[in-house]
Amino acid sequence: MIYTIGIDVGSSFIKTILMSYGETPIILEKINDKIHKRNPSTVIEHAMDTVLEKQGLKYEDVSYVASTGEGELVKRKKGHFYGMTTHAKGAHYYFPEVSTVLDLGSLFCRAIKVGRDARVLKYTMTGQCASGSGQFLENITRYLGLNLSDVGTLSLKSKHPERPSGVCAVLAETDVINMVSRGVKIEDIIKGIHLTIANRVVRLLSRLKAESPVVLTGGMALNLGLVAAIKETIDVRNMNLEVITNEYSPLAGAVGAALWGGYRYLKLAEA
Amino acid sequence: MTGNKNTFEELEEALKFGWSLLDDLNFQYISDWKNDNPSRQAIGYFPIYVPREIIHAAGMLPVGLFGGGSHLQVIKGDAYFQSYICHLPRSVIEMALDGNYADIDGFIFPSICDVIRNLSGVFKIIIPGKFIKYLDYPQNFDWGVGGEFYSLELWKLQQELFELNGIQVSSRDLNHSIILYNKNRRLISQLQNIRSATPWKISTADFYAVMRAGYVISVEDHNNYLENVITLLGQIECEPEDKIRVIITGSFCEQPPMGMIKTIENAGCYIVDDDFQLGAMWIVGDIIDVSNDPMQALARAYLEQRVLSSSVYDSDGSKGNFLARLVKKHKADGVIFCAPSFCDPALLDRPELEKTMDKYHIKHISFRYHENLGQFQVIKEQVGTFSDSIKLWA
Repeated sequence: MIYTIGIDVGSSFIKTILMSYGETPIILEKINDKIHKRNPSTVIEHAMDTVLEKQGLKYEDVSYVASTGEGELVKRKKGHFYGMTTHAKGAHYYFPEVSTVLDLGSLFCRAIKVGRDARVLKYTMTGQCASGSGQFLENITRYLGLNLSDVGTLSLKSKHPERPSGVCAVLAETDVINMVSRGVKIEDIIKGIHLTIANRVVRLLSRLKAESPVVLTGGMALNLGLVAAIKETIDVRNMNLEVITNEYSPLAGAVGAALWGGYRYLKLAEA
Repeated sequence: MTGNKNTFEELEEALKFGWSLLDDLNFQYISDWKNDNPSRQAIGYFPIYVPREIIHAAGMLPVGLFGGGSHLQVIKGDAYFQSYICHLPRSVIEMALDGNYADIDGFIFPSICDVIRNLSGVFKIIIPGKFIKYLDYPQNFDWGVGGEFYSLELWKLQQELFELNGIQVSSRDLNHSIILYNKNRRLISQLQNIRSATPWKISTADFYAVMRAGYVISVEDHNNYLENVITLLGQIECEPEDKIRVIITGSFCEQPPMGMIKTIENAGCYIVDDDFQLGAMWIVGDIIDVSNDPMQALARAYLEQRVLSSSVYDSDGSKGNFLARLVKKHKADGVIFCAPSFCDPALLDRPELEKTMDKYHIKHISFRYHENLGQFQVIKEQVGTFSDSIKLWA
């Protein structure tokens, strides 16, 4: 049996997958752990030990440990794959018909055109400003005293969304403070932020000349409010794109890393 | 990883020593050396190559100067040079004006490009009274032309150093220095072979720090240091990672920031060869060390045993073939052309070198840097996708 581990080290979460790799790869264990002021290396080691323990396995039983994201923090690894490559592979695993991947990460977002074999064909990504990122959304959520897991459903209740600045995170935060002072409803603020982020990422899709279906990956892929805002923005722009996501979408990078790890293990064994 | 725990700790300590020298812009080692040797001088030299044997034989300490790297914010240096030249001269001027070179008694500017030539003039203005030497090199490699010219240049250098400290250098002294530097080159070459064969044992960032120590400490100390690191590396075993093997070229003068080297390694590459700090390996093989005329031996080595570099005139395209041979020798998967912004020698050579790589179907990417670059995201992306494309699709 070939076991692989994929670890996606993000700036907020560390995603770990234990996979049984073969003709039909099977995910045996998954962990999506928030770093939350802990040493990321400790979180990584703990996650690896946990997934192995749950399956009664030892580190030596694993054929390939693959990292992605900030992979240098993974000490016990065999190889590292770049984030785009793993997100494309992870999305392809669940949705083989995928044409475009929209990676909604903590620090930036990327639109990736994917070939039939999960190959990255082309990509565009957001710039250095944090205003279109998950970290920005997380910060605002904290300032508003909300729970991150609640903002998606809260956003769906909005009737009159108010959009903050889409250019600069600092200006956007100031806008939000003003909105709170003016008594704007929390759900309208959140929906406005979702629409602002959606506007940025849909522009990426437009630049990429994206094709359907668009698979969402990354930490924000399960945020119902953001997903709705992206669909709404796509409709407003008449882009005719189908957007899909599933419960594994935030883990796509780790899944892709585990899959590529298995592929490399066999390739190296052949050589 | 296998090996005695103490061996790993010793190795870590040894590497820390290299890093401490690299991070010390005030050259404490030189200050200490001068306290121990009050009558002796430290002579600074700029990239790429200087025949250090002559300085050493004169009883002086040759010190390689590269600028402040990512540790230094350049403010004053910008006033001396236009914005469309490389970063190195601005950085060294900043350091000179800030007094970082206070313990250095003279400076040699080897001929590399127009910028370094002008830098020697600027140094005469900003540090008046110190020994400043512009050392010219032959671009004609016939002994009767370039050899004669270069021998005379070296002889003049020796005379100027004599005027500084009054020490007359004998052939025996110079041969002794040649022996030490031959040993130094052999040890570096040995370390390089270890890196190429087992790059998981020593990262290029660490290899760089070990090699760079030789630009500050005496050759005797550096030889001991290299022997120690080589011995320790021989006693450890580490598990290799699944990375591609790359050669970096174009970084022979202004040095890349350490963050960039680490980024390339973390993005999935083993750097198995490079041209960083090229001067230390400029001469390939030993220089004759038993000659009655060691000065001529040094000159002949420059003409006949030099490495191929963008700063040397080459009319027959042999640099591209040389690079292709390196790729084969090190079993490299690809080449990264990585040159400082505005580095004329490297950037002018690049299209021809790329053409040669294409001819031999060698994969390559290219980007530019400056020594105090702090953002590596774009490089990380480029190298990461390069690595993946070779690992997964080649």
